Amino acid sequence: MTDALFGTDLFDEFDRLQRQMTGLFGGFPSSIRAGRAGAFPAINIGATDDSIEIVAFAPGLKQEDIEVTIDRGLLTISGERRPLWQHDMPESRRYAQERFVGAFRRVIELPEGADPDKVQARYANGCLSVSVGKREASRPRAITVQ
Amino acid sequence: MNDNTQLAQRNDGAVVQRPEEKGARKITLVPAVDIVEDVNGVTLWADLPGVSRENLQVSFNDGALHIEGQAIVPTPSSLRVQHAEIRQPHFARSFSLSPDLDAAQIGAVLQDGVLKLTIPRREEARPRRIPINLA
Repeated sequence: MTDALFGTDLFDEFDRLQRQMTGLFGGFPSSIRAGRAGAFPAINIGATDDSIEIVAFAPGLKQEDIEVTIDRGLLTISGERRPLWQHDMPESRRYAQERFVGAFRRVIELPEGADPDKVQARYANGCLSVSVGKREASRPRAITVQ
Repeated sequence: MNDNTQLAQRNDGAVVQRPEEKGARKITLVPAVDIVEDVNGVTLWADLPGVSRENLQVSFNDGALHIEGQAIVPTPSSLRVQHAEIRQPHFARSFSLSPDLDAAQIGAVLQDGVLKLTIPRREEARPRRIPINLA
């Protein structure tokens, strides 16, 4: 088939699909507590030399509706997203309801060296950023070769 | 009246490749939306986490409404990514608007990563009761 019909050629599509599959199943083994794929909110995790940085993509929440807790190495982000639209609105028709509504909970297993006393959380533009400090002992250091 | 006619359908985590950007191979995420119509017009909410006002473009041309935004989350420069559920923080989605909607009067509000668009109906297209005269 030609590009005129599909916009992109078929091999491009396979290529894209393969990259997507690798992204889903390849790489790191997922945690037993990770929950199903596509759970709300989506979470990205990264690390620097002195902290663990977690970003939860959780738009449309009030600050007081988000709860971040740390318990024995488990960081829990929970809360509730309220619907913007009420069923009792007169003369209204709903065409799409894709946005997540209801209570949510995501649990992140923090690595051994995480310091639960050094946690900062910030909510801006619909993203929750949590920064967990690392203990001094677990920071990377150069080892001198004798 | 509460109809639940699903017009727009979204595949969870769908990734769309825009044909015109084939050279750059840009992959975009389809933002989740809620769409409701009432007597005044159509209201659309779109989830755009991490997108600030400066990085969001809402445009209307050739009868279609385009929403495009880039999510930017401030992170330390030496960050090593370990787990990413959102890899390409670029959101884009388009909708065609029928002529009874007044594209010139679209209102847009972005708050906490949710874009709310209010698209009013044209005055002459609003529902009205037609008086029946006695013959």
